[in-house]
Amino acid sequence: MQTTENDRIRIADASFPKPFKGGLEFNAPAHGTWNIVHIGFKIPKAHQIYICADNCMRGVVMTAAEMGELSRFSSVILEEDDMVFAGRLEESTIEGVTDVLNSLPELPPVVIVFPVCVHKFMGCDINFIYDELSKRFPSVKFVRGFMDPVMQKRGTTPDQRLRKAMFDIIPEGEKDGSVTVMGCDMPLAKDNDIRKLLEAQGVTVRDEASCATLQDYYDLGKCSSVICSYPAGVLGTEAFCKRTGRPMVYMPFTFSYDEIDDALSQIGAVPVFNGRVSSDRTAAGLKTLLGDTEIALDYTAVPRPLSLARFLIEKGFNLKRIYLDAIDPGEQNDFDWLVQNAPDIMLCATMHVKGRRRGKAEGDDKILAIGQKAAWFEGTEYFVNMIEGGGLYGYAGIKAFLKLMEDAFLVPKDTEDIIPRKGLGCECVL
Amino acid sequence: MKKAYKILPVYTGDVSGFASALYELGGMLVIHDPSGCNSTYNTHDEVRWYKQEALIYISGLNDIDAITGNDDKFINDIVRAANDMKPKFIALANSPLPYLNGTDFKGISKIVEDRTGLPCFYVQTNAMHDYSKGASEAFLAFAKKMLKPASEKIAGGINILGTTPLDHTNTKFSVPEGKTLVSNWAYGSSLEEVLKATSAELNLVVSSTGLAAAEYMKNEFGIPYELLGNYLDVKRGKTRRYIVGEPVISGFVAAQIKEKSGTDFNVIATTEITDGLLSECDRKCHGEDEIREALSDAEVIIGDPMFELISPESARFVRLPHFAMSGRLYRKEIPDLMRLEDYYNEP
Repeated sequence: MQTTENDRIRIADASFPKPFKGGLEFNAPAHGTWNIVHIGFKIPKAHQIYICADNCMRGVVMTAAEMGELSRFSSVILEEDDMVFAGRLEESTIEGVTDVLNSLPELPPVVIVFPVCVHKFMGCDINFIYDELSKRFPSVKFVRGFMDPVMQKRGTTPDQRLRKAMFDIIPEGEKDGSVTVMGCDMPLAKDNDIRKLLEAQGVTVRDEASCATLQDYYDLGKCSSVICSYPAGVLGTEAFCKRTGRPMVYMPFTFSYDEIDDALSQIGAVPVFNGRVSSDRTAAGLKTLLGDTEIALDYTAVPRPLSLARFLIEKGFNLKRIYLDAIDPGEQNDFDWLVQNAPDIMLCATMHVKGRRRGKAEGDDKILAIGQKAAWFEGTEYFVNMIEGGGLYGYAGIKAFLKLMEDAFLVPKDTEDIIPRKGLGCECVL
Repeated sequence: MKKAYKILPVYTGDVSGFASALYELGGMLVIHDPSGCNSTYNTHDEVRWYKQEALIYISGLNDIDAITGNDDKFINDIVRAANDMKPKFIALANSPLPYLNGTDFKGISKIVEDRTGLPCFYVQTNAMHDYSKGASEAFLAFAKKMLKPASEKIAGGINILGTTPLDHTNTKFSVPEGKTLVSNWAYGSSLEEVLKATSAELNLVVSSTGLAAAEYMKNEFGIPYELLGNYLDVKRGKTRRYIVGEPVISGFVAAQIKEKSGTDFNVIATTEITDGLLSECDRKCHGEDEIREALSDAEVIIGDPMFELISPESARFVRLPHFAMSGRLYRKEIPDLMRLEDYYNEP
């Protein structure tokens, strides 16, 4: 099947995994998802230094400012003369970072340095830069960040590579029987069967998303096995496991009972008693409340949006639209199931030039959105405010998720205040 | 080192300035960029998104197209989007990679214009300057492309040049009694109103972003211009009291204070366009270290709260938030700049 030039298409007519033809790109002003600045600050005590042009800098420095973290953020501005002379880019980067570090009240233990697209395009000797910085500041651990979106259409994204670089500094500790969960930005929720079941069995669970100190972060390497819970973290987690010889299980928040049971058994967790029945009962209760209310969801809310879509259809909910621009190849089975069983669901692009907020009219029916982008496009105040699955997993996670849907249906939110805020779950001083 | 910013944010960039200047005029604004410019703009540099949407896009440039100079995709995507969205004109902006590979934007504009039948023009940006440069270039390029001589003048007609939410977030301009507002570039006027600008008798420049277009309209259409409040006519002496920020606004505020209380303030201009906009007692600074040094002997400072981070503790700091510096952080505190009493009082 061909990719469509339209901004929406029936799922039965959509090509997999890329339903939409590329072109100029729109950006919906819903910003709860994390960017590289939010992600970098997950390393306690780390200082971030970006080396880029003014306009690129503005987005990252204001992200840090709105987090109240300007004291852990610095910039080196690139200008035209940095592009003209051979070696100038390396010199400006090294001297700029040096100047920044020498001016700080004390040297940070970890510094994430972010070169940009221009460094790659100019053939800048990146290794030389890091080697020289390491020589000048031997007590500092330098992390190789990147802000080079020019590469992301054909390869890995900057945030995937950043996560990998951040995991590269976790030392291989002595195995202590613990399990480390990594890759996701949302801390493990209380309604997470990974945590609940393992801890009930006396297993220590360390969470990369909620390290309070740098030592906590380094201690992630003491685990005996690793769980990756988010797609963007797979690259880094695999590299960590390969380096340290730890086994890895990939466990994104899924709504498939079979997948949950299979994954939980892989990590040695005792199966959840009555999990399926209990989840079904909760879903049925919510269905009674929602009736035929239209539902729309987006890809930022959960790591497996088509798994959620299938679950909602199976339980009789009136899911109408899914906002996404591409489909994770790991969702092929759910895609095929939806094509067969819910062919009229519309896939809606979020970056298409026609992407606009739906105008609301008097008397319009209530729409329940799952995710900020869906809320923005649908123009609804009734939405589940969640990214990356919210740290949920398993049957406990599904039931908690259904409760969030219920709350969202009953209590409207201030969409215009909430969704322009960046980095859901981070400190925000706005 | 002038390039290192240890704690101070940079101003809104030139590409966002371009978008802000042309936001309300019904054009399709295309930034030739991989990713990020659009998100930065609509998150941190634009207050109108929820009230009034605009056709602002990025090209989504990838590495292969950048390296091989594949302009065809860029052109085809613009033409396709224009056919879908029916804009009134098309404006193109540059970013670092197309700047480095020497992309021929003027040539691309010509091809797009031929294929769409719409006016298309290039605004000279490269993401390496501040918003004042980008907005200034946008107003100038728009004027050159879109303005035609007026068949008749509007008696007492005035254009206001240089209003964007980046500088004048909450400022309400009015024209003197007996005068007529012809257009406001470009915050609150429609394309149709802005196209009548050449029928005005006077241009009022309210920020450095409006100066280049005012010069152009003076040379091309014989319309004279004045700076906001004719602030350069108010003589001020050397002092250790400073107003730090955009030069026209800072100069205007300094003149207002001088006229009302006799107190001198000197301007430390921290945005790029300053030629012809500063008095002898004022100075221009570039980069955090230079600004910090300039403020080091200050007794009083008026400026965006971000500058307090690099101000001496002994100085009295008067907060005057500027959206192009602190973005959304102090947006609710941004005053109407015409109402001095709302943000400055003599101690």
